[in-house]
Amino acid sequence: MSEAHPPRATASGAGRVLIAIYAIFALSATARAGVQIAGKFSEAPVAYLLSGLAAVVYILATIGLAGTKPWSRRLAWGAVGFELVGVIVVGLVTVLDSGDFPDDTVWSVFGRGYGFIPLVLPFVGLWWLRRTRSSG
Amino acid sequence: MIGALVIVAYVAAAAVAVFGVVTTVLNRPPGRPHRLVVGAFEALLVVQAVIAAVRVFGGVSLPEQSTFLIYLLVSVCVMPIGLQFATAEPTRWGGTVIAVAAIGTGVAVWRIDELWAAGGV
Repeated sequence: MSEAHPPRATASGAGRVLIAIYAIFALSATARAGVQIAGKFSEAPVAYLLSGLAAVVYILATIGLAGTKPWSRRLAWGAVGFELVGVIVVGLVTVLDSGDFPDDTVWSVFGRGYGFIPLVLPFVGLWWLRRTRSSG
Repeated sequence: MIGALVIVAYVAAAAVAVFGVVTTVLNRPPGRPHRLVVGAFEALLVVQAVIAAVRVFGGVSLPEQSTFLIYLLVSVCVMPIGLQFATAEPTRWGGTVIAVAAIGTGVAVWRIDELWAAGGV
């Protein structure tokens, strides 16, 4: 017997742990990108712009997952999906040809500098979004 | 910094993280014990940040001074925000939220330690 369930809030229960992790990544990626872009942008503009992009993605994912507005869930899907593509593309590029990335970003080598959490996080995020969506 | 204080901060971060996870396992929503534990950890972090800031502004020069100061600020901001977020919805998961904040703070302390060591002080 399957009843129709409305979507559960993504910011409830265990989802709050996920949001805390996203918030910490948003904070650290923003701080890192800020220092890179403000202090030594000319050294590796592509890598530092990518750092900035990753920071924005983590901020948007945090807002999307923590929010309860109708657009929050869509924002979270978009940001977490982009994050997954980002970490895989940047991970592959950095593994195959490190020359383009003279300085590390959050996503370099699949997030090795961050204990590979950046690789695991989007999968958990997508799973959580799926789990809490409306069914029926 | 003071070597001993950094070690105390690491141990405290680990202890707070374990405490948070244990309360989740025991199904205890965040309450007074959480506030006391986080408060004690935060007091330690503030002491560390004040000592480091006084020494930096007092003439100690580090290779990445602005990065160092950002990490110092982060190290004292994360726990209060984490506690607030954990207690806003009092479920068992609040403890794990606090644990995540403590681990993040521990990483910030590690970076602070590293950047300080790079200054050869």
